[in-house]
Amino acid sequence: MRRPIPAIAAIASLIVISACSTASTANPTASPSVSVAPRGSVTLLTHDAFALSDAVLADFTKQTGLTLKVITAGDAGQMVAGAVLAAGSPSADVIFGVDNTLVDKALAAGVFEPYESSQSGSLIGPLKQDPNVSKVTPIDYGDVCVNVDDGWYAEKGLAVPSTLDDLIKPEYRDQLVVEDPGTSSPGLAFLLATINRYGDGWQDYWQALADNGVKVSGSWTDAYEGTFTRGGGQGDRPLVVSYATSPPAEIVYATDPKPEQPSTSVMTDGCYRQVEYAGVLAGAANPEGARKVVDWLLSDTVQADVPLSMFVFPARDNVTLPDVFTKFAGKVDAPAQLDPATVNDGLSQWLSDWGTVMQR
Amino acid sequence: MHGTAPRWLAWSWVVPAAFLACFLAYPLAVLATRVATVDGLTKLMSATTWHVVPLAVLQAAISTVLAVVIGLPIANAVSRYEFRSRALAQALVTVPFVLPTVVVALSFRSLLGSGVPQGFALVVVAHVYVNIAVVVRIVGAQWAQQDGDFEAVARTLGATAWSAFRTVTLPTLRPAIVSSASVVFVFSFTSLGIVLLLGDASTRTLESQILRQTSVLLDFPGATASALAQLALVSVILVAGAIATRRTPRRRMRPVFRHPLPGAGAGRTTLLAVIVLAYAIVIAPVAALVVSSLRASGSWSLAWWTGIGSVDASTSRIGSPLSALATSVGFAMVCALVACVVGGLAAVAVLTRGRTRVVSLLAIVPLGISSATLGLGTLLAFSRPPTDLRGTWLLVPIAHSLIAVPLVVAVVAPALRSTDGRVQAVAASLGAAPTRAFLTAYGPVLRVVMLASAGLACAVSLGEFGAASFLARTGSPTVPVQIVRLLSRPGEQSYGSAAVLAVILVALTLGIVLAVDRLGETTRRGAAQA
Repeated sequence: MRRPIPAIAAIASLIVISACSTASTANPTASPSVSVAPRGSVTLLTHDAFALSDAVLADFTKQTGLTLKVITAGDAGQMVAGAVLAAGSPSADVIFGVDNTLVDKALAAGVFEPYESSQSGSLIGPLKQDPNVSKVTPIDYGDVCVNVDDGWYAEKGLAVPSTLDDLIKPEYRDQLVVEDPGTSSPGLAFLLATINRYGDGWQDYWQALADNGVKVSGSWTDAYEGTFTRGGGQGDRPLVVSYATSPPAEIVYATDPKPEQPSTSVMTDGCYRQVEYAGVLAGAANPEGARKVVDWLLSDTVQADVPLSMFVFPARDNVTLPDVFTKFAGKVDAPAQLDPATVNDGLSQWLSDWGTVMQR
Repeated sequence: MHGTAPRWLAWSWVVPAAFLACFLAYPLAVLATRVATVDGLTKLMSATTWHVVPLAVLQAAISTVLAVVIGLPIANAVSRYEFRSRALAQALVTVPFVLPTVVVALSFRSLLGSGVPQGFALVVVAHVYVNIAVVVRIVGAQWAQQDGDFEAVARTLGATAWSAFRTVTLPTLRPAIVSSASVVFVFSFTSLGIVLLLGDASTRTLESQILRQTSVLLDFPGATASALAQLALVSVILVAGAIATRRTPRRRMRPVFRHPLPGAGAGRTTLLAVIVLAYAIVIAPVAALVVSSLRASGSWSLAWWTGIGSVDASTSRIGSPLSALATSVGFAMVCALVACVVGGLAAVAVLTRGRTRVVSLLAIVPLGISSATLGLGTLLAFSRPPTDLRGTWLLVPIAHSLIAVPLVVAVVAPALRSTDGRVQAVAASLGAAPTRAFLTAYGPVLRVVMLASAGLACAVSLGEFGAASFLARTGSPTVPVQIVRLLSRPGEQSYGSAAVLAVILVALTLGIVLAVDRLGETTRRGAAQA
């Protein structure tokens, strides 16, 4: 006997499925006028590391009358991947945290509706000349640099290394830990710094690093906290690829009473500059609000809060930095920066070549 | 099918099928419409997609064999013998499974020192450490219900302990062993966090390849090809596992009876050694965490514990660690409920014949879906009105359930399959209504295994980081997400607070698993008196 029940159940589940699908495919190109987003709110899509003081966040609503809804979507790479797939019909109005290695791909994929911030005149010099500034807005920058455990070198009576070339000298054997550029953002920045410095010879430099005992970790956490001598664990490597702002962070997140001096310093040669952009999402339900968010992110209030909230430098000129930054952050005069289009073209091959050299 | 089967049994597949259709098939279909290109299909044939596979298969196979070999004696000791702290031992074994991979990696580092070379061996050790719980829980749930009478008879007739085990016990445990082995294999084969943190070139998995392709290279056709390759390989393993357990000897399941530890002799020494070893394996990394949570500025201190409520109190960055705890516990409860209902109903389908049985197989498939793929699909499917679920808290526990459901099926299905269903016919012939007859036969077993699975589902949810990290969300993060964020910045306070949260996570897991196990014991005793 054929029972009717499976047939009924099949129909029932078909209904469920079609309910799911019609529900979300309805209006894929929703125009602002028919969107259900409440008039008084604007949605910011960002990554897990986004942070601002509560008071600063509240200030946005005070200034604009709009409620700011913040949505996080994984790390910067995961966030951009999602935004690229949803390009044209986004889940938010404005995005913050697309960095200079990914911004070209995002622009090419049509993620952004071009908008030049009314505040862009206030950017620091190098960022004013950024060719993308008419479409997306730099909000902050940070330098990825080798960090040094000064105490370790003092104890050994060894001079602290000061250039990329030093790192392949025998006296610095087995002392450096770096992150895998395929899985870690500072790792990728360090690879780009070496490509910027050595050009076609970068693979030879990495071969020399490998011969000199460089250690590769999968993530910043594993490298800094697990392997670096000044991390939380029992690491044994006094050199680590981290940020120019890691020493100030070490002070801010130290136990009370705070130490006078950080135990680490920054090697200012061979640094790579990462810039984080904000932009209006193409197809945003509230593009007007989105533009206000971009301008607000570049306002004095937010820019002054950026250093201690996210440990990056403000993109705006003439912002007063906290003491702990002026004293202890690495001052990088000539950071490396590759043209985003060059990165876009070369990245896949570079990662694959790096894997061959490093046997990873 | 027995003629006496209750009619609802034939319907049982509807709920799991609808759940999988809505939260698995639909998001993947949405993603496929975005990225499916001829390019992706071409890449499916290319060597770059497949070159990680042979070593990943080898890695997963070795991890699986070791996890089973180490897990079986522990399952024997903690599920069949009564000793002081037995319940604690059983709960403790579950702990490594819930620890976020970044915590496992860090505690391995601080235990072994950073001189230990990263790579194949370390990844295998970490996979075994994390997955012993899967073997102990799945096989133990089955083993606890065997009274050992047949083995005793075999021994009386002159069989050695080993041959009694091999010819009498092992065949009845086979479905559970195969079931747990296929889960461990799939976990190791699709591993992400451990591979990224402790691995090298020899330990790449398709999952780590997918992550690089999606979020570093934005190479979606390549990622699609890798995800399809992974799904295909995992399906082969799961189908093979299902076929291997199709013919299973059935025997009467009894309410659990635990033996006291045997008196002096080789048997006792071996059991004690196993128990001590189990404690040592689990406790060493946890002890390292406890120490880290109590060290500040080079001396002993409670600073991280007393300050845990005020970490980053005034910024939007982390939120209060205490609110993360509340979030995690709430998610764990919802996850356990959803996973038990969906997974339990899927598992019941093994008692039916024909197509419906396919559902219990399909319910295991989420294990093979790349979390990056599923995360992006879910993002596309459910983050736009009117199916905008981001504002609600539902997406995260649902993502957790997708991982927990296969485990529930892996616990429940083998137990039901090897239960003697003739009791149902007997009950029916004595006049019991079909549902009553069904419950008479399967009720006692179901109660025990459903509670065991609830504990496992809670544990999955408490420790899950991968899938949830891709989901766009608002509100307080879970404890593992919180730990990872703390660990992604310098400073003693960050590391100390992360250690405190990890210790709390361990304690929480222990508490929940102990409570669930105790509940299980009570219902078992209730069943024994009935």
